[in-house]
Amino acid sequence: MPGKEGLTLFFPEKMAERVLTPVETRAGSAKRTIVFVIVLIVVAALAALPWYGNSVLVQFGISVLLLATLAQGWNIIGGYTGYASFGNSVFYGLGAYGVAIAMVQFKLPFWIGMIAGLVLAVVFAAALGAAVLRLRGHYFAIATLALAFIMTAIVSNVEIAGSNIGLVLPLLKSDVLFYELALGLLVLATMTVWWLANSRFGLGLISIRENEEGAAVMGVNTTLYKTLAFMLSAAFTGLAGGIYAYYITFIDPVGVFDVGLNVKMIIMAVFGGPGTVLGPVVGALILSTISEVLATKVTSIASMFFGIVIVIAVVFMPRGIADVLRRAGRSPLRYFVDNVRTHRL
Amino acid sequence: MADALLETRALTAGYGEMQVLRDISLAVQPAEIVAIVGSNGAGKTTLLRAISRLIPCGGEVTFDGKSVSHATADEVFGSGLVQVPEGRQLFDRMSVEENLRMGAYRRGDRRAIDDDLDRMYTLFPRLSDRRRQLAGSMSGGEQQMCAMARALMARPRLMMVDEMSLGLAPVIVDQLLETMTAIRKEGVTVLLVEQDVHAALSVADRGYVMETGEIVREGSARELESDPEVQRAYLGEV
Repeated sequence: MPGKEGLTLFFPEKMAERVLTPVETRAGSAKRTIVFVIVLIVVAALAALPWYGNSVLVQFGISVLLLATLAQGWNIIGGYTGYASFGNSVFYGLGAYGVAIAMVQFKLPFWIGMIAGLVLAVVFAAALGAAVLRLRGHYFAIATLALAFIMTAIVSNVEIAGSNIGLVLPLLKSDVLFYELALGLLVLATMTVWWLANSRFGLGLISIRENEEGAAVMGVNTTLYKTLAFMLSAAFTGLAGGIYAYYITFIDPVGVFDVGLNVKMIIMAVFGGPGTVLGPVVGALILSTISEVLATKVTSIASMFFGIVIVIAVVFMPRGIADVLRRAGRSPLRYFVDNVRTHRL
Repeated sequence: MADALLETRALTAGYGEMQVLRDISLAVQPAEIVAIVGSNGAGKTTLLRAISRLIPCGGEVTFDGKSVSHATADEVFGSGLVQVPEGRQLFDRMSVEENLRMGAYRRGDRRAIDDDLDRMYTLFPRLSDRRRQLAGSMSGGEQQMCAMARALMARPRLMMVDEMSLGLAPVIVDQLLETMTAIRKEGVTVLLVEQDVHAALSVADRGYVMETGEIVREGSARELESDPEVQRAYLGEV
């Protein structure tokens, strides 16, 4: 059926059908088993990395794994539910401050700080969601964007958070631990998204993205679903912020409530394929690698090259790598040319 | 008239400061087809949205003997009051079959859902040919069929259809009206909201005429069709 595929845009391949069709009639279950086995091998190889890789690679790994978790967190609200959040960096900052305040001001162990950060981020998402999830499209983006700036200003004036000077956390020199923690969190986030993609709840989110009015008419409790998606997104983002704080040992308001980081999550998720299970992870890995290589090879103009990569990606594969893998197979040239034609301004 | 399926008493609703509906009282009996007719801006769509709880409203709404005045939209849907909204609101980038299955979103009985899918394809043979097609790429008439089938997949007790005929060719409207009769035979009560007064009254048992947020006339479809006032205002006869 030519012409049909051109319209599928962000809609991952037959996702709704996969959720809605009885298990016994599902096609391609063999293919899925293969993907599952590959993912399992990759995760095992990644988990063992500290034992065969050097310390530079481990540090790079921590950064990539945390970014991938952020992209995956954004994927829940942005990719699946269709709400382009610019407020996720706030969840990240709250997670980081949860750990920092607990450890520095109350001398509590790290894991209690993680719980504190998690609770802060999730509660904040619930409260915020009630207010801003009524807005759609650009209005939602702008409202959440403003929030990041407001949070920077507020936290800069909170004494327990070290005001605008920031907080210095106790030093723990164990990159392996941070690496494994970050990997564990990413695996948890990805498993959650995989569950989403195959669950009734996830289908409800997709229906909201596809037509919110239609979803409401079909009995989806849209307010509840959107809020839960926002909270879930905040949970992973906040936990990533918590790990980052202890790893980096120093945080300040401008550093952790950084809108630039939010933009990064979006670029990585969209580059990989929003609304897909593995897209954001692959996007984070590829873009981080490109960025790292450029930074060491061409140094001063690295960000310019990085910008060019993004522009080329948006022009030739606006629906992300997941979509390229799925559809460019037969005639790659035509696929890219079609993309340029369909999405030109 | 004691056991109406749907009943509203002194229903009011509006958007912000603007009150659109004033004191709407109507009743729909089980297995009836009831039409609400009136011109553009009379408040017909607002009335359906208020009954579905998509917008807040005042007054009393009773469905199947229970008050749903304080229920949420998804609770109202769960009790069997399903809307085919104006503009259809299909999931354009999903296939026809995915849209239909979304109608059964809250149901868990996979076997029965599959049976119902087959029933829908029998009721709307056109959809059967287009199962895999994206809903947004179909013609207006096919989209309307898809929207109705999607609503029926929820196994509604009462299906409320908003401006079904809008933008469709008369021959398609006739087909859809025939389907309404078939749907009623299966025990689904239908509440039709229409600008096309003649079409609506041709299948309805009873009707209400709305004007500027109020019900100005009610009666059997035949009474309304022969009512000189209605004829003058809506049927283009002098």
